[in-house]
Amino acid sequence: MTMTQQEPAMSNLYQPTVMRIASARDEAPEIRTFRLEFTDDQYKQDFYKKYRVGMFGLYGLPGAGESTFCVASPPTRTDYIECTFRRTGRVTAALQDREAGQTITFRGPYGNSFPIDQWKGRNIIFIAGGIALPPVRSVIWNVLDRRSEFGKVTIVYGARTVADLVYKDELAQWEAMDDVELITTVDPGGETADWKGKIGFVPTVVKDSAPSPEDCVAVVCGPPIMIKFTLPVLTDLGFAAGDIFTTLENRMKCGIGKCGRCNVGSLYVCKDGPVFTVEQVGKMPQGDL
Amino acid sequence: MVANINEIQSAAAALLNEGKVKLVLGYRVRGNDRVPAFVTQADQVGCLAYDSACTQNLAAYLRKGEVRSRMPLAVVARPEVMRSLMLLTAESQIAEGQVTVLAVDEQGFHGVLDLAGTAKLLNEQYARIAPDSSLMEQLAKIEAMTPQERSAFWSEQFEPCTRCYACRAACPGCFCERCIVEMNTPQWISTAAESHGNFAWHMIRAFHQAGRCVECGACQDACPQGIPLMLLNHFIAREVEREFDARSGYDPQAEPVIGSWKQDDKQEYIR
Amino acid sequence: MKTLEATKLADLAAALTAAGYRVIAPCQRGDQVHLECYQAGKTLRADVIPVNSAKDALFPRSEVIGRYRFEGNEFETVPVAPQAGKTVLLAVRPCDAAALAPLDAVFNWDYKDEFYNAHRDATTVVALACTAADDQCFCTSVGGSPDSTANADAVLRPADGGKRFILESLTDKGQAIAAAGQAVLTEGQAQADPPAQVAPAFDSAAVTAWAKDGFDSPLWKELSLACMGCGACAYTCPTCHCFDIQDEATRREGVRLRNWDACGFGLFTKHAGGHNPRHDQASRWRQRVMHKFAYFPERFEMLACTGCGRCGRLCGNGMSIREVCSQIEQAAQAGVK
Repeated sequence: MTMTQQEPAMSNLYQPTVMRIASARDEAPEIRTFRLEFTDDQYKQDFYKKYRVGMFGLYGLPGAGESTFCVASPPTRTDYIECTFRRTGRVTAALQDREAGQTITFRGPYGNSFPIDQWKGRNIIFIAGGIALPPVRSVIWNVLDRRSEFGKVTIVYGARTVADLVYKDELAQWEAMDDVELITTVDPGGETADWKGKIGFVPTVVKDSAPSPEDCVAVVCGPPIMIKFTLPVLTDLGFAAGDIFTTLENRMKCGIGKCGRCNVGSLYVCKDGPVFTVEQVGKMPQGDL
Repeated sequence: MVANINEIQSAAAALLNEGKVKLVLGYRVRGNDRVPAFVTQADQVGCLAYDSACTQNLAAYLRKGEVRSRMPLAVVARPEVMRSLMLLTAESQIAEGQVTVLAVDEQGFHGVLDLAGTAKLLNEQYARIAPDSSLMEQLAKIEAMTPQERSAFWSEQFEPCTRCYACRAACPGCFCERCIVEMNTPQWISTAAESHGNFAWHMIRAFHQAGRCVECGACQDACPQGIPLMLLNHFIAREVEREFDARSGYDPQAEPVIGSWKQDDKQEYIR
Repeated sequence: MKTLEATKLADLAAALTAAGYRVIAPCQRGDQVHLECYQAGKTLRADVIPVNSAKDALFPRSEVIGRYRFEGNEFETVPVAPQAGKTVLLAVRPCDAAALAPLDAVFNWDYKDEFYNAHRDATTVVALACTAADDQCFCTSVGGSPDSTANADAVLRPADGGKRFILESLTDKGQAIAAAGQAVLTEGQAQADPPAQVAPAFDSAAVTAWAKDGFDSPLWKELSLACMGCGACAYTCPTCHCFDIQDEATRREGVRLRNWDACGFGLFTKHAGGHNPRHDQASRWRQRVMHKFAYFPERFEMLACTGCGRCGRLCGNGMSIREVCSQIEQAAQAGVK
């Protein structure tokens, strides 16, 4: 299992670069997507040399601080990067108060990545819940941008209510693709009158759709309770723990394996992760997750 | 060791054996030190010790979940610790029935009491704990300083502070689940171990203890850097005594001095 | 060999200061001894281990790692160049010098931390071999020794019954110290005093082995009962290096700071969503011990503890690595899981 390691970085390793917000879009209540453009060409070049899907960055506003989110757009898109995040505290509130045309800071890319080159020719099932779609969406577009290299693509995505679904227009795009199977769902009670998708919790919907584990990898990301109930479904269907990938969202600060905050066992989520197989997660001290 | 230490041990054993408490919180000897003891079985009471070197304020443990889950419990309490228990009662952190007191002082053990009995003992026997004269001299020196001199004096005292919060951890009055220094929207107090942050931290903690501090000294003892925190706390306690005729920890039903207001409060400072 | 009269340690400090070094040495401060910047008039204390550790000089309590200015709604980031003046750590204990190994490892293992490295490269380490130890010392339990010269550029060895020191230079930086101090040094013979006897307190391999299997043990709760979750042990520890990053700003400008932090604090691992993996002191103490004795060694092939004993000296509630590891070893021997 190779998880790509990036080379040691720049001088003054805490110095961020400045990004301009090209556009901002509200996905759902308190959840916003920024499309960001690099203002420093050298930083941009260095970024794309290293960036593989799954890596994260530290997005910040001087005076407020920095916050960790995945890079929600794939490396196949080189005019911009995107991040999608919820307003939860001091830094995310300050970031969401920024508008298109204004700037924020960025440090990255950090962490390891999904080994999608090893998935060539294989089928992929993407399973995500709520605000956890962004890291998965990054991989989905990476795969779709290189569609012919991969087999069957299935996406199962659910949220509490219709309003909470993120990337609504992209869901429509995936729905319209002949070579993608999309299943969307909302929790019981979360549907609207004109909702055409399924109604039910993501683990149940996955079980009902009974994806074949044959030559298939799974990418799963969601709130802890969703993961807790989805993994046994996949195991029962015959998926191997080494073929199920997830990304951990621990509390991180420095992003580069020094401050100690994301330390789980002998691993640093910011360096050895955030992408792990379920097999690897199973070997971690569960009480620290 | 106080002469009647075995009486403390017997009393503790009896409380445990009779099922009146599930835990006895006391002190034990370890090498040259006195450390907290958590005794849950009657046959362990032999480790309990008490002398003047036992300076931790055990009432601080009453905010810890692992200790609270073992209530009802007993605490080996000297007068300052008894006063802390009164404060915690007045502030609804503990209630009669949860805490039994094994009353001690320099002379030794003075019996098993409930919180009401503790209040009575405090007011009868320990009503006038007078601060020592050398402390009063130091306080007088500070009082004689100009504001600029005081600012310089306190900045110098706080310079070694590393913001370890041992003072907060040791204090029974610091039971907030989320301390003001842990709030970040806004960040009221700088978390940097630097002059302005340290000054703000210590001043605000002292003010949050104003009218509540029982002057037990646990914060100063806990400080790894030897910062004379009690100078600040005693200074404020004397102010509170002067202005409000109040001393913390003698009335388990007292209303908070700073936190409450009465119609006939003095108003001449409003100019 | 080069020798220094014990009464002339302050003169050596003065000579090094005159030669342009910032001298960090154990100085009397009130009732305590602190490793701090030596100035004329301060009393040097080579007989007592200081309250704080040498890490303060390489990894300050609070350090500026970024600056920025505001102009209306826009900001400008201003790069900060790591700054470090020529420094000598004079008469630091071997346990402090040994601690530089885990610090060097974590600050350089992939990304090179220029701030730490600037301080480190500018610093000369003059160790002081220990001829006395107290009941909190346990360097020999973690692979150290009272006269170890690991990571030292030079070492002062007490000699002739404490009357003088032998100054032995071990590196070029150490030679430079001898050169700078030559006016107060004498060429001559002296007999080094025997190193302190530090009896082993516990078997660290046994602690590592028990901890690796004992993640879910209920023993952690008992071991940590007295702990009230402050940062005194972590901050005084020569190897602890966790930190927080905080911005502080006015409307016009601000700084980004790296401040000490500790895994013992309740909020250290709390997620924005509210989940806190280490929500009680038992799990936080487990992290403390396992990081030092299991996780860090797995990663960097060395323990993250040098047995200086400061945690034990400073904890008012009797918690310490020495105490907890001794209890773990006893539990391991008794077959308690």
